[in-house]
Amino acid sequence: MTLQVYSASLLKEGLVAYLCIDEDGISWSTDLNKATAVDENSIDSLKAEAERSEKENIVVGAYAVEVTQTANGLEPVENRERIRAYGPTISLPQSGSGLSGQHAA
Amino acid sequence: MYQYSQADHQLLQERVSQFRDQVQRRLNGDLSEEEFKHQRLRNGLYLQLHAYMLRVAVPYGLLSSNQMRTLAHIARKYDRGYGHFSTRQNIQYNWPKLEDVPQILDDLAKVEMHAIQTSGNCIRNTTSDPLAGVARDEIEDPRPYCELIRQWSTFHPEFNFLPRKFKIAVSGATHDRAAVAVHDIGVRLVKNDAGKLGLEIYVGGGLGRTPMIGKLINPFLDPHDMLTYLEAILRVYNRLGRRDNMYKARIKITVHETGEDKFRELVEEEWSQIKDNGLRLRDEDIENIKAHFKDPEYETLSDFDADYDAAILSDPEFAHWADKNVELHKKDGYRVVYLSLKSRNQPAGDVTANQMDAIADLADKYSLGAIRSTHRQNLVLSDVKLKDLHRLWKELKSLDLATPNYNHLTDLISCPGMDYCALATARSIPIAQALTERFDSYDYLNDLGDISLNISGCINACGHHHVANIGILGVNKKGVEVYQLTLGGSAREDASIGKIIGPAFTADEIVDAVSKVLDVYLENREDETETFLTTYRRLGQAPFKERLYG
Repeated sequence: MTLQVYSASLLKEGLVAYLCIDEDGISWSTDLNKATAVDENSIDSLKAEAERSEKENIVVGAYAVEVTQTANGLEPVENRERIRAYGPTISLPQSGSGLSGQHAA
Repeated sequence: MYQYSQADHQLLQERVSQFRDQVQRRLNGDLSEEEFKHQRLRNGLYLQLHAYMLRVAVPYGLLSSNQMRTLAHIARKYDRGYGHFSTRQNIQYNWPKLEDVPQILDDLAKVEMHAIQTSGNCIRNTTSDPLAGVARDEIEDPRPYCELIRQWSTFHPEFNFLPRKFKIAVSGATHDRAAVAVHDIGVRLVKNDAGKLGLEIYVGGGLGRTPMIGKLINPFLDPHDMLTYLEAILRVYNRLGRRDNMYKARIKITVHETGEDKFRELVEEEWSQIKDNGLRLRDEDIENIKAHFKDPEYETLSDFDADYDAAILSDPEFAHWADKNVELHKKDGYRVVYLSLKSRNQPAGDVTANQMDAIADLADKYSLGAIRSTHRQNLVLSDVKLKDLHRLWKELKSLDLATPNYNHLTDLISCPGMDYCALATARSIPIAQALTERFDSYDYLNDLGDISLNISGCINACGHHHVANIGILGVNKKGVEVYQLTLGGSAREDASIGKIIGPAFTADEIVDAVSKVLDVYLENREDETETFLTTYRRLGQAPFKERLYG
C-alpha cells in the first residue's frame, strides 16, 4: 500500500529530513524510518505541520513523498527519493584513500 | 597569476561580512527562504539533493599551491574531506552547513578566492585553456584577457540580472582546449597575416536542451575594443533575451530567433554608441594586467635528459604515463603534466583533502607552485622539468593521480548526476565508473587513441555530452533510468554537436552499447591514425546503428 511522508531539507545543515509526529510532539529526523507515514486521506495534517516548520525556519522546501511499507521499513517509491533517503549510490571519496595507488595503471 | 589589490581585498571582505549578516538573518527568521535564496545563489550556495552545495570560483582555472591548501582545509574542516572539480574549472563542495558558509568564504578571501557569480543569472567564471602561457601552439596568452573580463564582469550592475546565466571562454592557441564554440561568448585570440593580434568573437554557443555552435559575429576585433564589444553584446542580449521562458532565455536562442546577421547588426549599432567610452582598453590597461602573467624565471635547460630517457626505457609503466599525460612546454627542458582525476577509485573530478594537500606540495616541489584545473575535470602542473618527471610520476602514482588516460576513453567528463544534483533525472557517476572499469586497459585505450566520452545526468548537459565523440545522456523514462547515446560531437576547433543514434539503453545495457560502438570504429578505421571522430564523420551513423540495433 502506498503511503506518504513529508520530507524537506534542514535549514541549518541542508540535510534531508522527514517529519515525525508522535506523543512527544513534532520533530524532523534524517532517518526515513522514523517518519510519520499516512495514507493519502490524512496527508493534509502532515502538510500543515510541515508548513509550520518552514515558517519556524526549521526546514526548507517541504513536500510529500510516496513510500511503501516493506519488511525493512519505509521505502520511497521513486528512485530520486530513494537516493535522497539513503545517500549517494556510489562510495564517497575518503581522505585516507586515493593514496594506495593500487589501481593506478 | 593576478595578485589582488587592496580594493579587491576590501571588496571581498565586505562581501563576506554582508553574507555573514544575511545568513544570520536567515537563521534568525528575519529573511524568508524566498528572500534569502537569491542572496545565497549570488554567493555560489545551492541547496542540492542531499545538502547545500558551495561552488567556489577558480578564475580561468588558475590556482596557487597556497590556494589549493585552503581548498583542502575547507574540504577537511567544513565538508566531508573532498571536493569536485567542475567543467567550469571551479570546485564544488557537496556537504557544507549553512552556518559554516560565511567562515568558509572568509577563509577563501584570505587566499584571494570567493564564490561570487558562480551561480545566478549573471556572468559566470570565465574559462580558458589550461595550458595558457605554456602551450607550444599558443598565439597569445589568454589569461590577461580573462582577467580583464573577470574585472569587468564582477558585480557589473547592468548585468547582474540577465535573462539567464552567461558563460564566456577565451582561448589563445591554435588548438581549442577551452571549448569556446559552445559558450555564450567564445573569444579566440588570433593573428592576421601581418602578425597583428585580434579577437574572433563567437556568440550563441551552448549546450543544454538546445545545443548550438557559436556564430562568428566578428572575425577580427581589436583587443582594445574587447570590453566595449562584449558590453554591446550583453546589452543586446539583456534587452532581447527572453525572460518569459527560462528554457528559451539563453543567448543562443536570442541569436537563433533574431538571426545571426540581424544580431550582429544590433551589436554593431549598440557598440557604435559606446566603443569610445572609458571602457575602451588603453595599451597601459592591457600591459598592467599582462604584468601579472609574466613568465616565471625559467632555467635554460636542454630538451634532452639522459636519466629521463633511461627511465622511459626501463620502466614501461612510466613510459605509458609520459606518453599519455605529459605534453611539450614552450620552454625546452620543461613539460606540462596532466594529473588525471579519472581513476577507478573516485568519481570524475573528485579530489580528497589529502590529495589536494599533496598536489600543493608537488606543485611547490616540481612546478613553481602553480596548479591549473581543466574543463575536462583534470588538474595540470604546468612547469615541470623534464628531469623531474620520473620522480613526480612516482609520487602521483602513490596518490592515484597518474592514470595514463588523458584525452583517452576513460578520461571522461561526468556531471554529479542524480547522486547529488537536484535537477538530474538519472545517475551518471555509476555509469562512468562502470565504463572506467570495463575499459581499464592501457593497451586498449592506446589502441583507441584520441577519443572523448562525456556523460550528463539530465538534459541540462553539465556533463557536455553533446560535444563528446561518444555522449551519454541519462533520462528518466517512466521511473527507469535510461541512457541515450549520441555520436560525433566535438568541443574542439572542429566543434560539432553529436547526434542521437537511436532508442535509449538501460543502465545494464549502456556499457555494452559503448563497446559495440568502439568495435565498429576499430573494425572500420582506415588505419591506426584515423581517430574515432574522423571515422564516424566518414562513415556516418549507419554502421554504428546497424551494430547497436541490428
